[in-house]
Amino acid sequence: MTELDKTIRGNADAAVGTAKAAAPKRRPRKKTPRAASPAAECEKAETPAATAQGDATTGGTAVPKPEEGAPGEGIVAEVLESIGGLGEELMETAGRVRSHSFVNIAGNLLSAARDLLTLDYYGRRLGELSLKDRSGEVDEFGLDERYWAKIQPLYEFLFYKYWRVALKGLANVPVKGRAILVANHAGTFAFDGVMLRVAVQNEHTAKRDVRFLVEDFIYHLPFAGTFMNRIGGVRACQENAERLLERGTAIATFPEGIQGVGKLFHDRYKLQRFGRGGVTKLAIRTKSPIVPVAIIGNEEIYPLLGKITRFAEPFGVPYIPLTPTFPWLGPLGLVPAPVKWAIHFGRPIDYSKYPVDSADDTVLVNKLTENLRARIQQMVVELLGERRSLFRG
Amino acid sequence: MAPQTTRGERRPPAARDRVVAITGAFGFIGTNLLKYLDADQNYSRIVAIDIKKPAAPMERMRFYKVDLTHPASDAELIRIFKEEKVDTVVHLAFLGNPQHNLQWAHELEVIGTLKALTACAYSGVGKFLMWSVTMVYGAHPSNPNFLTEAHPKRGAPGVSFVNDKLEAENEALTFAAKHPETIVTVLRTCTILGPTVNNVVTGALSRNPVPVLMGFDPLFQFVHEVDVVDAFKLALDHDFPGDFNIVGDGVMPLSTVLKLAGKVPLPLPYPVAKRIFSAVWSAQFTHVPPGFLDYFRYLWVADGGKARSRMKFTPKYSTKEALLNFVGTQRLRHVHLID
Repeated sequence: MTELDKTIRGNADAAVGTAKAAAPKRRPRKKTPRAASPAAECEKAETPAATAQGDATTGGTAVPKPEEGAPGEGIVAEVLESIGGLGEELMETAGRVRSHSFVNIAGNLLSAARDLLTLDYYGRRLGELSLKDRSGEVDEFGLDERYWAKIQPLYEFLFYKYWRVALKGLANVPVKGRAILVANHAGTFAFDGVMLRVAVQNEHTAKRDVRFLVEDFIYHLPFAGTFMNRIGGVRACQENAERLLERGTAIATFPEGIQGVGKLFHDRYKLQRFGRGGVTKLAIRTKSPIVPVAIIGNEEIYPLLGKITRFAEPFGVPYIPLTPTFPWLGPLGLVPAPVKWAIHFGRPIDYSKYPVDSADDTVLVNKLTENLRARIQQMVVELLGERRSLFRG
Repeated sequence: MAPQTTRGERRPPAARDRVVAITGAFGFIGTNLLKYLDADQNYSRIVAIDIKKPAAPMERMRFYKVDLTHPASDAELIRIFKEEKVDTVVHLAFLGNPQHNLQWAHELEVIGTLKALTACAYSGVGKFLMWSVTMVYGAHPSNPNFLTEAHPKRGAPGVSFVNDKLEAENEALTFAAKHPETIVTVLRTCTILGPTVNNVVTGALSRNPVPVLMGFDPLFQFVHEVDVVDAFKLALDHDFPGDFNIVGDGVMPLSTVLKLAGKVPLPLPYPVAKRIFSAVWSAQFTHVPPGFLDYFRYLWVADGGKARSRMKFTPKYSTKEALLNFVGTQRLRHVHLID
């Protein structure tokens, strides 16, 4: 239709142009129709005001008045002709427009309608829709760059605007090479992994990628596991972590695991046991430095008042959270609180002085793990001490 | 059952003069491996063992018809191996597609492998090479992204197609521990794609729409048929005791697989799909057992690092290339440009 509009407008402009060209320049166009018709001449005679006006105009332009005569009649004929031509042209255009609209558009509509009736059409549309924001290639852990690019603004909004994350000691994250970021875990939906990813990807000098390890149970669930994979999450297990570290990737892990996510509100910022020390074993075995990370704010976005474990099993989740808003407000109750976050990256801990086989030394591993937990706990307490207001930091 | 030589005269002894017996010789891998070996001067004789007759005679092939589900087939195998002075056995008598006759399938795959192993022990065969599938690891949400050979093989609950292969594989590895003089190699392939192969996945990819499980988009990996045959040839030419995953490079989400194959996904919630597949399986309308659904839900990607470093096996086709090659051939076949 826009094409058509252009044609029509173009034709109209051309018509005006011809009319202008055809009309004598010496005389304003207003005058010409009057001069053209004898009736107008009578009118002119009858209404002195009009005559006066006409005179004033002609006087203003200081050109000879068009009296009845051969040159004047010639102009009139010319104008008439041009008007007639214009009309013809207009008729022609209109005809063209009509033919466009009634034949072509109807034809297009018909074929579109016919297309709508085929199953193939829906298949094609569905196929296009299902892969609209997806890249053809994913990395070996299923990260889809295009999908991440699409979803990133949402997390950036949460990071910069909603939780206004304050960062401290980001330079402690190594610029390159393997590194394990170990942080406290909370927040029911575990936003902390993605927030760490955004922090290091956007704010660190090396803009490096951080892959966060994700709880097992997520992968039992439909949608959640797939989503986590696409945005860069990796299932938490030794094999995956080792593979990532061997590639020189930085990983973020939350050794409190599900115990950390499911902390009740009155237990917030009390770091739970670090599993069975898997993270320390990993660091010793792969000779990777551990960067202790303390996060505050994340433990208050979903104040967990209680949890129901009884009916959770059919949903494939470890518990159903009870917060001041969920499930009472339905899905709306899942909106996290706009608490101000702060993340402190501590100085890296070097484990390379321990021989690789000491990863099997349970006593040593337990001691190191407990030291690590205590250190992060202390960092959390320090950050909390610095905080003046829950919402303003 | 006299040996059916395809040609009367004896060939001059080749450089290494090896004699290879292939069980299940006219299955997919067997047929292609036979052609490959027939062209190699190092192999003086190829003993083909199957219940089917060969489609075309080959110069150095000798065909024996042996049914591994027959109770006396082990004695027969011993006789053949001794008579032909077989030094290597390639055991490929496995099913490419799940069967409804579970007992027969068990008899063939598990007991058949046992018989082949026994025959090797009693006829002094120095090398036993067998085929398995990465499905034996099982699809579990607790799987790491890449399953190495060291990872426990957990099988698939209720899918005897997979569990039989796992049992057969375990028998071979137990045999290897008991008979250190015999080199036992297990080549575990992931889903094979290519112009001529026919299996569960090629079956699923040739209909439209393809049922998928709502909310699950597991990563898939494929290996091209050419690479599989290459891997077997490599393991025949050289000695690599142990088990190896034979996989193509790269992974691809199921949704992308369907997109590239030009298929429409039909998402079904898992409980619904499970009921439908159970019903259809019980009615014997499909060869896909309901337990297979887990392979479309969870990860079961294997790591090919060991084959790469030890066997120096480098797949010529990546996962994506194998899929595209398969899809391209399907299209040519669709318009009858090729058979």
